Amino acid sequence: MHHKEKLEFTPVIGIEIHIQLKTRSKIFCSCAADYTNDEPNTHICPVCMGLPGSLPALNGEVIRQAMRAGLTLHCRILPTTFFFRKSYYYPDLPKGFQITQSDLPIAADGWLEIHDDAGRPKRVRVNRLHLEEDVGKLRHVTADGRIEGASSSFVDYNRSGLPLAEIVSEPDISSAREAVEYVTTLRRRVLHAGASDVDLEKGMMRFDANVSLKCSDGRWGNRVEVKNMNSFRALERAIEYEVKRQGSILAEGGEVMRETRHWNDARGVTTGLRVKEFYRKFIVEPDLPPLVITKEQVDEALASLPEMPEEKLVRYVGFGLSEGDAAVLIEEPAVARYFEACVTAGANPLRAGNWVRTEVLRVVNDAKVSADMIAVSPEALASLLAKVEDGGLSTTLAKSVFDALLDGLSFEDALKRSGASDGAVDVHALAASVVAANPDVVAEIRSGKDTKGKKVKFLVGLMMRESKGSVKVDEATAALEKVLA
Amino acid sequence: MLNDEEVRAIAAEARLSLHGDELAKAVRYINNFLGMVDRFKELDLKDVPPFCFAESTECPLREDVAAPFPRVPDILAARSQSLDYAGAFRVPRIVEE
Amino acid sequence: MSGLHELSTSEIAAGVKGKKFSALEVFDDCLNRTLACDGSLDALITTVVEDGRRAAEAIDGRVARGEPLGPLAGVPTVLKDNMCTYKVRTTAGSRILGGWEPPYSATVWTLLSEAGATLLGKSNMDEFAMGNTTGTSAFGPTRNPWDTSRVPGGSSGGSAAAVAAAYVPFALGSDTGGSIRQPASYCGIYGLKPTYGLVSRYGLIAYGSSLDQIGPFARSMADIALVMSVIARHDPRDSTSVPGKSFDFTVRKGSDALRGKRVALVREFQDFTLDKPIADAMKRVAKICEDAGAEITEVSLPTVGRYAVACYYAIAASEAHTNLARYDGVRYGAEADEHAGTLREAFEDVRSKGFGVEVKSRIIAGTCLTEPVRSEEYYVAATRVRTLIAEEFHRAFESADCILQPVTPSMPERIGEVDDDATKGYEADLYTLPVNMAGLPGLTFFTGYAESGLPVGLQLVGHRWSDATLVDMGAALEEIIGSPRVPAVVKGAA
Repeated sequence: MHHKEKLEFTPVIGIEIHIQLKTRSKIFCSCAADYTNDEPNTHICPVCMGLPGSLPALNGEVIRQAMRAGLTLHCRILPTTFFFRKSYYYPDLPKGFQITQSDLPIAADGWLEIHDDAGRPKRVRVNRLHLEEDVGKLRHVTADGRIEGASSSFVDYNRSGLPLAEIVSEPDISSAREAVEYVTTLRRRVLHAGASDVDLEKGMMRFDANVSLKCSDGRWGNRVEVKNMNSFRALERAIEYEVKRQGSILAEGGEVMRETRHWNDARGVTTGLRVKEFYRKFIVEPDLPPLVITKEQVDEALASLPEMPEEKLVRYVGFGLSEGDAAVLIEEPAVARYFEACVTAGANPLRAGNWVRTEVLRVVNDAKVSADMIAVSPEALASLLAKVEDGGLSTTLAKSVFDALLDGLSFEDALKRSGASDGAVDVHALAASVVAANPDVVAEIRSGKDTKGKKVKFLVGLMMRESKGSVKVDEATAALEKVLA
Repeated sequence: MLNDEEVRAIAAEARLSLHGDELAKAVRYINNFLGMVDRFKELDLKDVPPFCFAESTECPLREDVAAPFPRVPDILAARSQSLDYAGAFRVPRIVEE
Repeated sequence: MSGLHELSTSEIAAGVKGKKFSALEVFDDCLNRTLACDGSLDALITTVVEDGRRAAEAIDGRVARGEPLGPLAGVPTVLKDNMCTYKVRTTAGSRILGGWEPPYSATVWTLLSEAGATLLGKSNMDEFAMGNTTGTSAFGPTRNPWDTSRVPGGSSGGSAAAVAAAYVPFALGSDTGGSIRQPASYCGIYGLKPTYGLVSRYGLIAYGSSLDQIGPFARSMADIALVMSVIARHDPRDSTSVPGKSFDFTVRKGSDALRGKRVALVREFQDFTLDKPIADAMKRVAKICEDAGAEITEVSLPTVGRYAVACYYAIAASEAHTNLARYDGVRYGAEADEHAGTLREAFEDVRSKGFGVEVKSRIIAGTCLTEPVRSEEYYVAATRVRTLIAEEFHRAFESADCILQPVTPSMPERIGEVDDDATKGYEADLYTLPVNMAGLPGLTFFTGYAESGLPVGLQLVGHRWSDATLVDMGAALEEIIGSPRVPAVVKGAA
């Protein structure tokens, strides 16, 4: 009997990403591009509603941002491109066609560097970045909001006409992990460039994956398009699932059907859509003359790009930070800006890095606010860190000062409230700081476990150290007992 | 030459249903039309660029200013009866075939 | 006052400004003429009575207060019903738009109303401008004011009839393959299709986007010029509107406009038969031009002769099927039957019931030609043939200033005389549609009346941006030939 060798499969994965370019108005009309949380059908006009007689007028900033996004992906910018009508019928498509670029995208032939599963750097080629308009939003009337079984649906056209860049990679990606790294790397670069806010929750970034397998016996499995992955985790799980699913089919000698499948996050599977093979009809968009881009425009777009996250990473490591710590700081451009401003204001980079990674990020995440907007300026933090640096302030107290600064207090008042003033020590505030900084110890004391009073003595000792002995033991103990009561 | 089924399929793609002798007439029309445009085969078009625009102008670019359309209610007035409570347009059941 | 409806645009504007009569008097006289005739002609789909009179009163208010007046102040007009007019029903000659009232106005209407014109009505048209008789309108055919058993031409037949019958002194139509020029000829008036890109298409319900242009109808070239001076403006809302093209459309008296001009006849057109009145008009007008100092020459347009019709219909259908894809009943217009259960059924219901046969046929043709399996062979090929046609015209104009040619091969046919095979009728458009393919300006001018009493028109075609030259030449011809009359239409009417 012919002995079968164990088949090996190499995933061949391409990713299609749609990002909403960052502009004030839509791509072909002057409706506001920011409509989050507003009522349906309030940011509409004859153009983005495709009313009879309406015509598109191209937003110049869309072109600029598309170029900038393309340049972050090392693309070349084409000097002349066209628009096309891609026609099909769907209620979220008000004109019955989508204005898009097809054969002649605005940017092409780029690449992005990621790492393969063994940690070696590898390039994923970017075939193109092209422009298109977004469609309306359908809401289906069923329990889980999904399309199957919906008795009716409703359409909101606020999203119709938002400027999208579609970024198509070559199938150079070989694993789910690589796919996530590709997508997150791309997102980070585009975010730093300010070309898009790429907020996944707001749908500003969407991705589809094309997954197929190459078999060690020479066979190539058909390509399957996977849609409906709404997070990086979903992308990873969906690809892993698909690779496994296709592998089983091929291992049994079967054929993978070429189709589009939906990722169902709740059930952890992809399901076939049973959609007929449809075709889209294309004609040149007669309402938009060719888009001509000059070398000057490209140069300006390139010059306008800020430092990219990878470059920052190298620089931060050069300051002495670990790669891991630096990686956290480069995720959000506002956080990176904050860190850099802090260092520029004289803070020790390692200390600044720690503080931004922990305290500043905590505020950013809890309050859901940008690092540009928090109440403690990078310069104020630098001053605070300087005090810690020269031994005048313990880390614990500094954190307390930081919190006080967040509340809007002046530097002097913040210091006072934390009991760390250069002047007379506020014993009560000092006790409060120490209590706040040592919750486990306090819990033990309050639960009655500190029978020998050792924990209390420990806390008092902290207070003594903080006040550099300027407070008497019994004063400190009394204040502490009051706070603990 | 296209047959009945092919023409019916094309009509369906255009969201048009043809009944009775409408189909026969449409098949005749399409085949006459294709006969008319088959004439292009007489020409050597290999090196002829497609005509896309009468004038060699460049696409004008608009300034990125958000200016809301002042008469949104007039747009929605066309469907005042069938908007839902939130102001979205209603569409019937979408069945993925 | 009566008889005001027969005045020209400039006469009305001068009269209102000079307080010889009020804008309301003019409007009411035009309205009376309209109401008297339209039972016979069916030129209008919507007659704007209340709002039109109110607008006329507003003009009279401005006159009384001595406020500045635009060049068309108090002049009533009619727009083809494919031009959006804010809160005035607009149908494109179709059932599918239902009673839709646009929430915005076409740029041309904004320009006209800012110049003081008042809207008397929206005129009948072939459905979505697809046709050359106004017979495909969902609202019934319009009749030729010179012989109500005959077609007025199309697709802008309503506007042409309204001007010919003197409902109003001027009207707007649209021309994609001849839809201004042909009805102008059949109705015995002047009609200009401007250079593509000269007049804004914003608010024009699209049929063939790379072919459509809006233009004026009038009973005199001076009126054509006056209206053009108002509507030929660059519009940033229309990206195909070309900036920096402003022309002096004032008509200068005298036939000098013809002197020294190389007026070409098309060699290939000599092979086609023409109805006798049209053939006679060609000979007569060629001689008039020569006598006025023009040089009659010849140009050859072989590609046009053999391929223009197929090329036009391929491109028009391909663009039209996309332009009409938005009519699905979701956002405006006729709604789906409540029994249409699924989305596909609803779309099919709205579109199958809402579109007429000609429109459906062309949508199917356009869908067919642009399917991936056929697109390169037909749609893309058509766009290449179009390049050849445009280049052929470009070469022709190196040795000619304009082309003199017929508008149609035959006189207006009787209403209802419809060929079962629609494509056969397409060949008659050979004289008009090549002009749209190359984006050239084309002017229909009045040449006189045939023995039958029907008017005969001919056409001047120029190179791109020669609109003002064509207007001058048309005015020179009008001075020599004479201006059209107004038919009685109604028994006993002046």
